[in-house]
Amino acid sequence: MRSASRVGPLGDGLPLGHANMVPQTRSFPIAALASAIFVAAGSSSVSASEEAPAPAASASGTAATPSAPHVPEAPLPATTPDVPVPPSPASSALDLDRSIPAAPIVEVHGFASQGFILTTGNDYIAPDTTHGSFQLTEVGLNLTKQLTDKLRFGIQAFAQNFALGGNFDLKADWFYADYRWRDWFGVRVGRLKIPFGLYNEVNDIDSARVPILLPQSAYPIQGRDFLFAQNGVELYGFARSRLAGALDYRLYLGTIFIDPAILVPPGSAVQLQLNVRYVLGGRLFWETPLQGLRIGASVLAVHLDVDAFAAGMTIPIVNRSLLSMASAEYATTRLTLTAEYALWHSAQESELASSNFTGTSERSYAMATYRATAWFHPALYYALYFRDVHNRDAGSTMRQNDVSLTLRFDLNDFLILKLEGHFMEGTAGLVAPLSVTPPPANPERVWGVFLVKATGYF
Amino acid sequence: MRRLPSLIAGAALLVVIRSAGLVAGASPSTSRAGYQMIRNPDNPIDAVDRQFLEDVFLKKRTAWPNGAVIQPVDLAPASAARRQFSDDVLRRPVDAIRSYWQQRIFAGRELPPPELGTDSDVVRFVLRERGAVGYVSNGAALNGAKPLTVK
Repeated sequence: MRSASRVGPLGDGLPLGHANMVPQTRSFPIAALASAIFVAAGSSSVSASEEAPAPAASASGTAATPSAPHVPEAPLPATTPDVPVPPSPASSALDLDRSIPAAPIVEVHGFASQGFILTTGNDYIAPDTTHGSFQLTEVGLNLTKQLTDKLRFGIQAFAQNFALGGNFDLKADWFYADYRWRDWFGVRVGRLKIPFGLYNEVNDIDSARVPILLPQSAYPIQGRDFLFAQNGVELYGFARSRLAGALDYRLYLGTIFIDPAILVPPGSAVQLQLNVRYVLGGRLFWETPLQGLRIGASVLAVHLDVDAFAAGMTIPIVNRSLLSMASAEYATTRLTLTAEYALWHSAQESELASSNFTGTSERSYAMATYRATAWFHPALYYALYFRDVHNRDAGSTMRQNDVSLTLRFDLNDFLILKLEGHFMEGTAGLVAPLSVTPPPANPERVWGVFLVKATGYF
Repeated sequence: MRRLPSLIAGAALLVVIRSAGLVAGASPSTSRAGYQMIRNPDNPIDAVDRQFLEDVFLKKRTAWPNGAVIQPVDLAPASAARRQFSDDVLRRPVDAIRSYWQQRIFAGRELPPPELGTDSDVVRFVLRERGAVGYVSNGAALNGAKPLTVK
């Protein structure tokens, strides 16, 4: 029963909590208002030739883009697949199609990664890492089809032998239909990656970042199965003002499928039934007028119902979480500095008093990456994690300091090799979010992690 | 320490002034160091600012101000004009832009502009697609494609 009582919280490490949620029905007007304000503030400068013709509207019948204030009096006829436009007069005398590759029917991209992890003292992320583990394998293949200028479909198949998930079970990592009505408003439905912080969406995309392991205080790899993607709907948009920079917003509502098998150790007498009633959240980034600087905030609320079955008893557990994160990034040509700070609040209630709790964890990091050359990128970060923000002095099992150094080598346009070392103090990160397995009995307070990873992609 | 507030205020003012385009920078031109921007001859828009182009080539913006769809086209990553364009307009090296697109592709967000191998391919693409915008090496034959001024 102890195991069951530990299920509800998005872990000792990944708390759930009461959600002060904005009703979804109010989200869109707020976002639209924000966009409208930005639009009204003016956008980038564009000018039109005086001698240009002045057709009344685009071929698709769409109005001028609200995000662009300087609408020329001579609109350019839009080219849309549903309203074919003949080649321009200037092109008629040339065999324009002769050497231009046709757009692919379906865009195909993929990646495959194989890593190795060795730890000193504690098993981390994968089983038996103190003796070394190759259980760091990921394979993905995605297909994207642009049906019209505004409508796109995509799907990514994914298999892994990684951390808690494994055995190369093939699954749909994400799939969507995306309708981008305007730059400032689009809608997506399907299984969608959750925009949370700077990196959650690329948590498994090795080629898109420098570190092998993102700061685990903010992006615990064990949380991939329930923080990575949601099944539902997302509203998004982008609007720029000439003076105030740009806003990039995302709002989403849906549910998360969690496989109970990843929570219960083989042979356990406890069985679980999980139901995520909803996941609701949003992310807003502001690209400031200072080139390269953007700041943002993310929130995510989850309501999880768990029924634990053991010894002929059924114990319902209700778990609510509210995760929030503030983000900042400053990127120059070669140097990128990022920092994020998060509070993850969780509250759990059940008939079993010992499983009830309320708590907030604190998660932060600062990272610097540098493009020394086109093929060599080092990264350095310091990450700090407290399982209980109100009790930072609770001991080494309740905190984790992580200093990481990564060397990334881009061997060619399709192959990457990374080497990474971590100096760890504290063991809070050994408790996987949602894990029913107890933390190690006598963890080593000071320990190290070494990783090597090769990734191929196209 | 007494000068700190003044320095901060000065820096903030500089940011505002720069963002407002009030500081004399590079003069408007169709030909920049190593490349020139081009557009379809039927496109009445003959000048844009750098930020607009950055947003277009990163697919943050998908339409010209009149609502017509923009179709940006890139040269191959190894070309000198591509490198110059990336440094000058996108303010990031080509490999950083590749990383950006890796994030977008595998997050299921967006696809990069098509990459064409030669200047003449880019010119043909721009002549064929009314909403196209591209860049070619300085001195490349435009064959009727119109220059696009970057302000």
